[in-house]
Amino acid sequence: MPDRLDITWIALIGLALATILVPPLVPRPLLGNALLLALAAVKGRRIALDFLDLRAAPALWRGLVSAWILMVVLFAWLTSAVSALI
Amino acid sequence: MSAADCEPRGAGWGILDDLPGDPMIWVLIFSELAAFGLFLGAFAVARAIHPAVFAVGQAALDPGLAGLNTVVLVTSGWAAARAAKTARASESRATQSWLLTAMGLGGLFVAIKLGEYAEEIGRGIGLETSPFFTLYFLLTGFHLLHVCLGIIILALVCRRAEAFGVETGTAFWHMVDLVWIVMFPILYLVR
Repeated sequence: MPDRLDITWIALIGLALATILVPPLVPRPLLGNALLLALAAVKGRRIALDFLDLRAAPALWRGLVSAWILMVVLFAWLTSAVSALI
Repeated sequence: MSAADCEPRGAGWGILDDLPGDPMIWVLIFSELAAFGLFLGAFAVARAIHPAVFAVGQAALDPGLAGLNTVVLVTSGWAAARAAKTARASESRATQSWLLTAMGLGGLFVAIKLGEYAEEIGRGIGLETSPFFTLYFLLTGFHLLHVCLGIIILALVCRRAEAFGVETGTAFWHMVDLVWIVMFPILYLVR
């Protein structure tokens, strides 16, 4: 019977394969980049919660790691969007 | 030295005591996340300034190989998480088996990455080829050093395979995994 760790692992493999498929399937850079980085954020959060075991940790630590993930992907998307729009 | 001096948990680190493993590893983890975050931010800004140079550089990379390495590292992270779970249940043999699996997959990640570097260097690509490749080699090289350090840490905690040490070692390993998950699309796929 798969537990939460197994389900997270399977989900991460599926999301990693989906990530590879985004560039050829979504040729528009703004949308494609948003999808790629959203997938990265989802994968990162699953690792933080289930592998890094922050699900049971105080909200402060969950929030800090989630904020790091969000800040990095949002900044990457914003800079790529600015570059595409100029 | 009293028994209290050896107590691994609740050792006066305040809110850090609520995290799995040694609080000191979390100080290191948050420091490393800050460093990688700044590094990735610098990469994103440089791409916005030199979009054409970065597009040419990125086109020379092999995203399939990096995607394979993502699967390898995620699977290694899963094995490490299983090791922490069996360590908490005091199953030493199973813990050591899971840790060896995690280390073996970590070694495979290193081998694939070194193969990727060799192929790129064989095509005449180097640190000074362009600003893209300077940042690419520095970022992935810095990460690769962390993978190697993580394997060493896992090997150190594997011998005793007790919960506190395994939680400490695997926490570092998952940080390395988390950084790669974010770094991979930013370097290889985002246009």
